[in-house]
Amino acid sequence: MTPVLAHTPVLETERLILRAPAARDWPEWDAMMQSARARFVRPGDYAEALSWRGFGHAIGHWVLRGFGNFVVTRKGDDTAIGAAGPWFPAGWPEREIGWSIWSAAAEGKGYAAEAARAARAYAYDTLGWDTAVSYVAPENARSIALAERLGAVRDANAATPGDAPAIVFRHPHPEAGK
Amino acid sequence: MTPRLVDIPVLETERLRLRAPVASDFEPYRTYRMSPARTAGVGGPRSYLQCWDYFGELFGHWILRGYGRWIVADKETDAPFGLVGLFYPPDWPEPEIAWTVFAHGEGKGIAHEAAIATRAHAYDTLGWTRLVNLIMPGNTRSIALARRLGAVHESDYAHPDSGTLQIWRHLSPGECA
Repeated sequence: MTPVLAHTPVLETERLILRAPAARDWPEWDAMMQSARARFVRPGDYAEALSWRGFGHAIGHWVLRGFGNFVVTRKGDDTAIGAAGPWFPAGWPEREIGWSIWSAAAEGKGYAAEAARAARAYAYDTLGWDTAVSYVAPENARSIALAERLGAVRDANAATPGDAPAIVFRHPHPEAGK
Repeated sequence: MTPRLVDIPVLETERLRLRAPVASDFEPYRTYRMSPARTAGVGGPRSYLQCWDYFGELFGHWILRGYGRWIVADKETDAPFGLVGLFYPPDWPEPEIAWTVFAHGEGKGIAHEAAIATRAHAYDTLGWTRLVNLIMPGNTRSIALARRLGAVHESDYAHPDSGTLQIWRHLSPGECA
Protein backbone atom coordinates (compact mmCIF):
# COMPACT_ATOMS: atom_id res chain seq x y z
CA MET A 1 0.00 0.00 0.00
CA THR A 2 1.80 3.11 -1.24
CA PRO A 3 0.29 6.41 -0.18
CA VAL A 4 -0.49 8.70 -3.10
CA LEU A 5 -2.07 12.05 -3.69
CA ALA A 6 -5.19 11.15 -5.66
CA HIS A 7 -8.14 12.84 -7.32
CA THR A 8 -5.94 15.48 -8.90
CA PRO A 9 -6.44 16.80 -12.43
CA VAL A 10 -4.09 16.34 -15.38
CA LEU A 11 -3.72 19.09 -17.96
CA GLU A 12 -2.48 18.53 -21.48
CA THR A 13 -1.03 21.11 -23.83
CA GLU A 14 0.52 20.75 -27.25
CA ARG A 15 3.85 19.51 -25.87
CA LEU A 16 3.35 19.11 -22.13
CA ILE A 17 1.57 17.16 -19.42
CA LEU A 18 0.85 18.96 -16.15
CA ARG A 19 0.15 16.61 -13.25
CA ALA A 20 0.22 16.64 -9.46
CA PRO A 21 3.62 16.24 -7.74
CA ALA A 22 4.66 12.72 -6.72
CA ALA A 23 7.48 11.13 -4.76
CA ARG A 24 9.40 10.37 -7.96
CA ASP A 25 9.77 14.13 -8.62
CA TRP A 26 11.90 14.66 -5.52
CA PRO A 27 15.35 14.31 -7.24
CA GLU A 28 14.51 16.93 -9.86
CA TRP A 29 12.95 19.24 -7.27
CA ASP A 30 15.93 18.95 -4.95
CA ALA A 31 18.46 19.46 -7.77
CA MET A 32 16.61 22.64 -8.70
CA MET A 33 16.61 23.84 -5.08
CA GLN A 34 20.36 23.24 -4.84
CA SER A 35 21.03 25.18 -8.01
CA ALA A 36 21.33 28.89 -8.57
CA ARG A 37 17.95 28.65 -10.32
CA ALA A 38 16.30 28.58 -6.90
CA ARG A 39 17.61 32.01 -5.92
CA PHE A 40 14.25 33.63 -6.66
CA VAL A 41 12.17 31.12 -4.72
CA ARG A 42 14.42 30.16 -1.81
CA PRO A 43 14.48 32.40 1.24
CA GLY A 44 18.06 31.58 2.27
CA ASP A 45 20.88 29.12 1.80
CA TYR A 46 20.09 25.60 0.63
CA ALA A 47 19.41 22.97 3.27
CA GLU A 48 18.07 19.53 2.40
CA ALA A 49 15.53 19.66 5.22
CA LEU A 50 14.12 22.95 3.93
CA SER A 51 14.01 21.70 0.35
CA TRP A 52 12.21 18.56 1.53
CA ARG A 53 9.70 20.50 3.57
CA GLY A 54 9.08 22.83 0.66
CA PHE A 55 8.24 19.88 -1.55
CA GLY A 56 6.03 18.46 1.18
CA HIS A 57 4.26 21.78 1.41
CA ALA A 58 3.65 21.76 -2.36
CA ILE A 59 1.92 18.39 -1.95
CA GLY A 60 -0.01 19.50 1.12
CA HIS A 61 -1.24 22.61 -0.68
CA TRP A 62 -3.27 20.33 -2.96
CA VAL A 63 -5.02 18.73 -0.01
CA LEU A 64 -5.53 21.94 1.94
CA ARG A 65 -6.74 24.10 -0.95
CA GLY A 66 -8.05 21.59 -3.44
CA PHE A 67 -5.61 22.86 -6.08
CA GLY A 68 -1.90 23.44 -6.33
CA ASN A 69 1.25 23.53 -8.36
CA PHE A 70 1.38 21.05 -11.21
CA VAL A 71 4.61 19.34 -12.12
CA VAL A 72 5.41 20.02 -15.77
CA THR A 73 6.63 17.13 -17.93
CA ARG A 74 7.15 16.70 -21.65
CA LYS A 75 4.79 14.32 -23.42
CA GLY A 76 6.39 10.91 -23.56
CA ASP A 77 8.83 11.62 -20.73
CA ASP A 78 7.52 11.69 -17.16
CA THR A 79 10.61 13.50 -15.78
CA ALA A 80 9.72 16.79 -14.12
CA ILE A 81 11.13 19.82 -15.95
CA GLY A 82 9.35 22.46 -13.91
CA ALA A 83 6.17 23.45 -12.17
CA ALA A 84 3.24 25.72 -12.87
CA GLY A 85 -0.09 26.23 -11.28
CA PRO A 86 -2.52 28.07 -9.10
CA TRP A 87 -0.96 28.84 -5.72
CA PHE A 88 -2.49 30.32 -2.59
CA PRO A 89 -0.77 29.38 0.66
CA ALA A 90 -1.88 30.95 3.93
CA GLY A 91 -0.74 34.56 4.15
CA TRP A 92 -0.63 35.18 0.40
CA PRO A 93 -2.53 38.43 -0.30
CA GLU A 94 -4.33 36.86 -3.26
CA ARG A 95 -4.28 33.92 -5.58
CA GLU A 96 -1.31 33.46 -7.83
CA ILE A 97 -0.35 31.72 -11.02
CA GLY A 98 3.22 30.50 -10.49
CA TRP A 99 5.75 28.88 -12.78
CA SER A 100 9.31 27.62 -12.69
CA ILE A 101 11.62 25.73 -15.03
CA TRP A 102 13.98 23.47 -13.13
CA SER A 103 16.95 23.05 -15.46
CA ALA A 104 18.85 25.05 -18.04
CA ALA A 105 18.26 22.24 -20.56
CA ALA A 106 14.51 22.86 -20.46
CA GLU A 107 14.85 26.62 -20.75
CA GLY A 108 14.33 28.76 -23.83
CA LYS A 109 11.78 26.47 -25.43
CA GLY A 110 8.62 28.24 -24.38
CA TYR A 111 7.66 25.52 -21.92
CA ALA A 112 7.01 27.94 -19.06
CA ALA A 113 4.69 30.03 -21.23
CA GLU A 114 2.83 26.95 -22.43
CA ALA A 115 2.45 25.61 -18.89
CA ALA A 116 1.50 28.97 -17.37
CA ARG A 117 -1.21 29.49 -19.99
CA ALA A 118 -2.66 26.07 -19.20
CA ALA A 119 -2.50 26.78 -15.46
CA ARG A 120 -4.20 30.13 -15.89
CA ALA A 121 -6.95 28.65 -18.06
CA TYR A 122 -7.48 25.99 -15.41
CA ALA A 123 -7.72 28.59 -12.64
CA TYR A 124 -10.21 30.68 -14.60
CA ASP A 125 -12.31 28.03 -16.30
CA THR A 126 -12.30 25.19 -13.76
CA LEU A 127 -11.61 26.87 -10.43
CA GLY A 128 -13.67 29.92 -11.35
CA TRP A 129 -11.13 32.57 -10.39
CA ASP A 130 -12.03 36.05 -11.60
CA THR A 131 -8.52 37.45 -11.28
CA ALA A 132 -4.98 36.21 -10.77
CA VAL A 133 -1.56 37.70 -10.14
CA SER A 134 2.00 36.49 -10.47
CA TYR A 135 4.64 37.60 -7.97
CA VAL A 136 8.04 38.03 -9.59
CA ALA A 137 11.35 38.97 -7.98
CA PRO A 138 12.49 42.35 -9.38
CA GLU A 139 15.75 40.88 -10.68
CA ASN A 140 14.12 37.85 -12.32
CA ALA A 141 14.31 39.18 -15.86
CA ARG A 142 13.15 35.97 -17.53
CA SER A 143 9.98 35.73 -15.47
CA ILE A 144 9.25 39.43 -15.96
CA ALA A 145 9.49 38.91 -19.71
CA LEU A 146 7.23 35.89 -19.49
CA ALA A 147 4.62 37.70 -17.39
CA GLU A 148 4.50 40.44 -20.01
CA ARG A 149 4.28 37.88 -22.79
CA LEU A 150 1.28 36.38 -21.02
CA GLY A 151 -0.43 39.76 -21.15
CA ALA A 152 -0.04 40.47 -17.42
CA VAL A 153 0.55 44.08 -16.39
CA ARG A 154 2.23 45.57 -13.34
CA ASP A 155 -0.20 46.37 -10.52
CA ALA A 156 1.60 48.82 -8.26
CA ASN A 157 -1.32 48.93 -5.79
CA ALA A 158 -1.44 45.22 -5.08
CA ALA A 159 0.03 43.79 -1.88
CA THR A 160 3.03 41.45 -2.01
CA PRO A 161 3.55 38.30 0.05
CA GLY A 162 6.17 38.12 2.77
CA ASP A 163 9.11 40.45 3.15
CA ALA A 164 10.98 39.86 -0.10
CA PRO A 165 10.51 42.55 -2.73
CA ALA A 166 8.27 41.45 -5.58
CA ILE A 167 6.63 42.91 -8.63
CA VAL A 168 2.94 42.08 -8.85
CA PHE A 169 1.78 41.25 -12.37
CA ARG A 170 -1.97 41.07 -12.85
CA HIS A 171 -3.21 38.72 -15.52
CA PRO A 172 -5.88 39.69 -18.04
CA HIS A 173 -9.44 39.17 -16.86
CA PRO A 174 -10.89 35.75 -17.74
CA GLU A 175 -13.16 37.28 -20.37
CA ALA A 176 -10.42 39.39 -21.94
CA GLY A 177 -9.09 36.76 -24.27
CA LYS A 178 -12.41 35.30 -25.34
CA MET B 1 -12.76 15.87 -7.54
CA THR B 2 -11.19 16.69 -4.19
CA PRO B 3 -7.47 15.99 -3.93
CA ARG B 4 -6.60 13.84 -0.93
CA LEU B 5 -4.19 11.20 0.26
CA VAL B 6 -5.25 7.65 -0.47
CA ASP B 7 -3.87 4.29 0.53
CA ILE B 8 -2.90 5.52 3.97
CA PRO B 9 -3.29 2.63 6.41
CA VAL B 10 -5.85 3.06 9.17
CA LEU B 11 -4.99 1.71 12.62
CA GLU B 12 -7.60 1.06 15.26
CA THR B 13 -7.07 0.69 18.98
CA GLU B 14 -9.53 0.24 21.78
CA ARG B 15 -10.60 3.89 21.79
CA LEU B 16 -8.87 5.44 18.81
CA ARG B 17 -8.66 5.52 15.05
CA LEU B 18 -5.39 6.60 13.46
CA ARG B 19 -6.28 7.93 10.02
CA ALA B 20 -4.90 10.15 7.24
CA PRO B 21 -4.99 13.89 8.00
CA VAL B 22 -7.56 15.93 6.08
CA ALA B 23 -7.95 19.66 5.52
CA SER B 24 -10.46 20.09 8.36
CA ASP B 25 -7.85 18.89 10.89
CA PHE B 26 -5.87 22.08 10.32
CA GLU B 27 -7.88 24.18 12.80
CA PRO B 28 -7.31 21.95 15.85
CA TYR B 29 -3.70 21.48 14.77
CA ARG B 30 -2.92 25.16 14.52
CA THR B 31 -4.73 25.89 17.79
CA TYR B 32 -2.29 23.49 19.41
CA ARG B 33 0.80 24.73 17.56
CA MET B 34 0.09 28.40 18.28
CA SER B 35 -0.41 27.78 22.01
CA PRO B 36 2.65 28.80 24.10
CA ALA B 37 1.59 26.48 26.93
CA ARG B 38 1.08 23.43 24.70
CA THR B 39 4.33 23.82 22.73
CA ALA B 40 6.82 24.63 25.47
CA GLY B 41 8.42 21.19 25.08
CA VAL B 42 8.72 21.31 21.29
CA GLY B 43 10.33 24.67 20.63
CA GLY B 44 7.52 27.08 21.41
CA PRO B 45 4.55 28.43 19.49
CA ARG B 46 4.55 29.04 15.76
CA SER B 47 2.81 31.66 13.65
CA TYR B 48 -0.35 30.90 11.70
CA LEU B 49 1.66 30.85 8.48
CA GLN B 50 4.26 28.46 9.88
CA CYS B 51 1.46 26.20 11.09
CA TRP B 52 0.04 26.10 7.59
CA ASP B 53 3.44 25.14 6.17
CA TYR B 54 3.98 22.45 8.81
CA PHE B 55 0.54 21.03 8.31
CA GLY B 56 1.07 20.87 4.57
CA GLU B 57 4.32 19.00 5.12
CA LEU B 58 2.42 16.25 6.92
CA PHE B 59 0.93 15.23 3.59
CA GLY B 60 4.25 15.47 1.80
CA HIS B 61 5.86 13.23 4.39
CA TRP B 62 3.41 10.45 3.59
CA ILE B 63 4.07 10.79 -0.12
CA LEU B 64 7.85 11.11 0.10
CA ARG B 65 8.50 8.44 2.73
CA GLY B 66 5.53 6.13 2.33
CA TYR B 67 4.73 6.51 6.02
CA GLY B 68 3.96 9.43 8.27
CA ARG B 69 1.88 10.80 11.09
CA TRP B 70 -1.79 10.02 11.51
CA ILE B 71 -4.51 12.09 13.02
CA VAL B 72 -5.47 10.29 16.19
CA ALA B 73 -9.23 10.50 16.23
CA ASP B 74 -11.96 9.43 18.60
CA LYS B 75 -13.22 6.11 17.27
CA GLU B 76 -16.83 7.10 17.83
CA THR B 77 -16.94 10.76 16.83
CA ASP B 78 -13.83 11.13 14.61
CA ALA B 79 -12.86 14.24 16.63
CA PRO B 80 -9.07 14.73 16.39
CA PHE B 81 -7.15 14.27 19.64
CA GLY B 82 -3.68 14.72 18.24
CA LEU B 83 -1.04 13.63 15.81
CA VAL B 84 0.97 10.44 16.25
CA GLY B 85 3.03 8.40 13.84
CA LEU B 86 6.34 7.84 12.15
CA PHE B 87 8.40 10.92 11.45
CA TYR B 88 11.66 11.11 9.54
CA PRO B 89 12.55 14.44 7.93
CA PRO B 90 16.05 14.77 6.43
CA ASP B 91 17.43 16.55 9.50
CA TRP B 92 16.50 13.66 11.82
CA PRO B 93 19.11 11.00 12.66
CA GLU B 94 16.67 8.12 12.22
CA PRO B 95 12.91 7.53 12.12
CA GLU B 96 11.01 8.23 15.31
CA ILE B 97 7.59 7.75 16.81
CA ALA B 98 6.35 11.30 17.07
CA TRP B 99 3.43 12.21 19.29
CA THR B 100 1.44 15.35 19.82
CA VAL B 101 -1.74 15.63 21.83
CA PHE B 102 -4.12 18.57 21.53
CA ALA B 103 -5.42 20.16 24.75
CA HIS B 104 -8.71 18.26 24.89
CA GLY B 105 -6.90 14.96 24.40
CA GLU B 106 -4.51 15.42 27.31
CA GLY B 107 -4.45 13.17 30.34
CA LYS B 108 -6.38 10.28 28.81
CA GLY B 109 -3.49 8.03 27.81
CA ILE B 110 -4.14 8.80 24.16
CA ALA B 111 -0.51 9.31 23.15
CA HIS B 112 0.43 6.07 24.90
CA GLU B 113 -2.31 4.07 23.18
CA ALA B 114 -1.50 5.57 19.76
CA ALA B 115 2.26 5.16 20.23
CA ILE B 116 1.88 1.46 20.96
CA ALA B 117 -0.21 1.04 17.79
CA THR B 118 2.39 3.01 15.81
CA ARG B 119 5.26 0.94 17.17
CA ALA B 120 3.44 -2.28 16.33
CA HIS B 121 2.76 -1.01 12.80
CA ALA B 122 6.43 -0.12 12.31
CA TYR B 123 7.67 -3.50 13.52
CA ASP B 124 4.96 -5.88 12.36
CA THR B 125 3.75 -4.28 9.12
CA LEU B 126 6.74 -2.28 7.90
CA GLY B 127 9.30 -4.73 9.23
CA TRP B 128 11.40 -2.13 11.02
CA THR B 129 13.80 -3.27 13.70
CA ARG B 130 14.53 -0.04 15.55
CA LEU B 131 12.76 3.10 16.65
CA VAL B 132 13.59 6.18 18.69
CA ASN B 133 12.04 9.29 20.06
CA LEU B 134 13.70 12.66 19.82
CA ILE B 135 12.77 14.72 22.85
CA MET B 136 13.78 18.18 23.99
CA PRO B 137 15.51 17.89 27.39
CA GLY B 138 12.82 19.78 29.35
CA ASN B 139 9.83 17.97 27.88
CA THR B 140 8.98 16.01 31.02
CA ARG B 141 5.64 14.67 29.75
CA SER B 142 7.21 13.13 26.66
CA ILE B 143 10.10 11.76 28.68
CA ALA B 144 7.60 10.15 31.05
CA LEU B 145 5.74 8.60 28.15
CA ALA B 146 8.95 7.33 26.56
CA ARG B 147 9.86 5.70 29.89
CA ARG B 148 6.42 4.19 30.21
CA LEU B 149 6.87 2.63 26.78
CA GLY B 150 10.13 1.09 27.93
CA ALA B 151 12.44 3.43 26.01
CA VAL B 152 15.81 4.48 27.44
CA HIS B 153 17.80 7.69 27.01
CA GLU B 154 20.58 6.44 24.75
CA SER B 155 22.42 9.54 23.54
CA ASP B 156 21.98 13.13 22.43
CA TYR B 157 21.63 14.58 18.94
CA ALA B 158 22.70 18.11 18.03
CA HIS B 159 19.97 19.37 15.73
CA PRO B 160 21.11 22.26 13.49
CA ASP B 161 18.20 24.52 14.56
CA SER B 162 16.56 23.01 17.62
CA GLY B 163 19.73 22.38 19.64
CA THR B 164 20.24 19.29 21.75
CA LEU B 165 17.61 16.57 21.43
CA GLN B 166 17.62 13.45 23.55
CA ILE B 167 17.49 10.18 21.66
CA TRP B 168 15.29 7.69 23.50
CA ARG B 169 15.66 4.15 22.17
CA HIS B 170 12.52 2.06 22.09
CA LEU B 171 12.22 -1.62 22.88
CA SER B 172 13.21 -3.82 19.94
CA PRO B 173 10.58 -5.97 18.19
CA GLY B 174 11.65 -8.97 20.27
CA GLU B 175 11.44 -7.04 23.54
CA CYS B 176 7.90 -5.85 22.75
CA ALA B 177 6.57 -9.34 22.19
